[in-house]
Amino acid sequence: MALEITVHEQSCRGCELCIDICPTKVFTRDEEKRLCTVAHAEDCIACLSCTYICPSGAIEHRDIHLVKNFYRDEEFCRKMGRFL
Amino acid sequence: MGEVTVNTEWLSDCSGCHVAIVDLHEKILNVLAAVKIQRCPVLTDVKDYPKARVGLVSGAIRNVHDREAALKMRESCDIVIAWGSCAVFGGPAGAGNIHTPEEIATAVYLENKTTTPAPPPSRQVSPLESKVTPLDTVIYVDFYLPGCPPHPLFVFEALSALVEGREPETAKRSVCAKCKRKMEKTEVAELKSNFEGIPDPERCFLSQGYTCLGSVTIDRCLAPCPSNGVPCTGCAGATMQVLTEPNRDIRTEIAERMSRLTRIDREEIVRSLERSAKSHYSYTMATSMIGEKPTFLIKRWIEDEEADYEAGGR
Repeated sequence: MALEITVHEQSCRGCELCIDICPTKVFTRDEEKRLCTVAHAEDCIACLSCTYICPSGAIEHRDIHLVKNFYRDEEFCRKMGRFL
Repeated sequence: MGEVTVNTEWLSDCSGCHVAIVDLHEKILNVLAAVKIQRCPVLTDVKDYPKARVGLVSGAIRNVHDREAALKMRESCDIVIAWGSCAVFGGPAGAGNIHTPEEIATAVYLENKTTTPAPPPSRQVSPLESKVTPLDTVIYVDFYLPGCPPHPLFVFEALSALVEGREPETAKRSVCAKCKRKMEKTEVAELKSNFEGIPDPERCFLSQGYTCLGSVTIDRCLAPCPSNGVPCTGCAGATMQVLTEPNRDIRTEIAERMSRLTRIDREEIVRSLERSAKSHYSYTMATSMIGEKPTFLIKRWIEDEEADYEAGGR
């Protein structure tokens, strides 16, 4: 199954933190747009380090297997689904 | 689609959320074409709680009146929306949880240094509850709309979606997503207080060594503060990852990013944020989602700060 990573262009601040933190060098900098973009989605190991470090919350992964975090509070997570 | 009836109620808050309805400007006409506002403390003179499809409740539970009013809203409305950061997280009133109601009464009435001391009012004022809590500790809440106040765009989208019977379109990105400052790596080596120097208006506050909560705050405002020279104070509450992940915290998330953008040590940033935690956590500390985090140790941080002050330190 093809993994898809998207960086929401309007939200990316071009800080390069995703480039720095990614262990498999998935991201690169688009000098023209001054933004970070996905260069090698096929190398992504879905560690989600980039998603967590991104200040804007601009990075999204699709078609990945999310391990259920046993330490998450189920009640809170249910509430999150009802945030407008 | 029938006419949607709406009740609003105002608990312990500043009235900003109700004023935000007026900030819909001419768009309010679109809303009013589809909804019928019944009880609304700033618009109508309805004192009771008529049956309604949607109930918008702003404000935290601070006193007995708030609790009773919240219960009335739940009884009278099919859908209840916790509206604004006070209803969702407890809001700035939540900072009162660091002290007991007795301590607050003493500081405000009996030993007030700026006015004539007087006993706290005992008549016609609802007694304080022992703790400030968000709305959902008293009633079931169907939806949460944080923001201080939520930008009219989000209020409009929420009301429109309910009227049209569809899912509202709301992103869960942070304030940084709407801020246009350039977030870049710098050689800045020292933290700055917000009153020190004049920040570069084009560059991210974190890159300049100023504390800004934009990256840990959900965007329900469209970033007006950082766009106008004021660092984000986190008024809309924490991002989803801070709320849902027990090991992620406001201070460590900021420190993680700031230390990578500047040459300031991560631990120094964490310590600095702990020293002023009452400000940084004030909007959300009353909710168990933040207040009961294993990483949230505000009483200890305040004690440390006071000990330093007594010792003549920072």
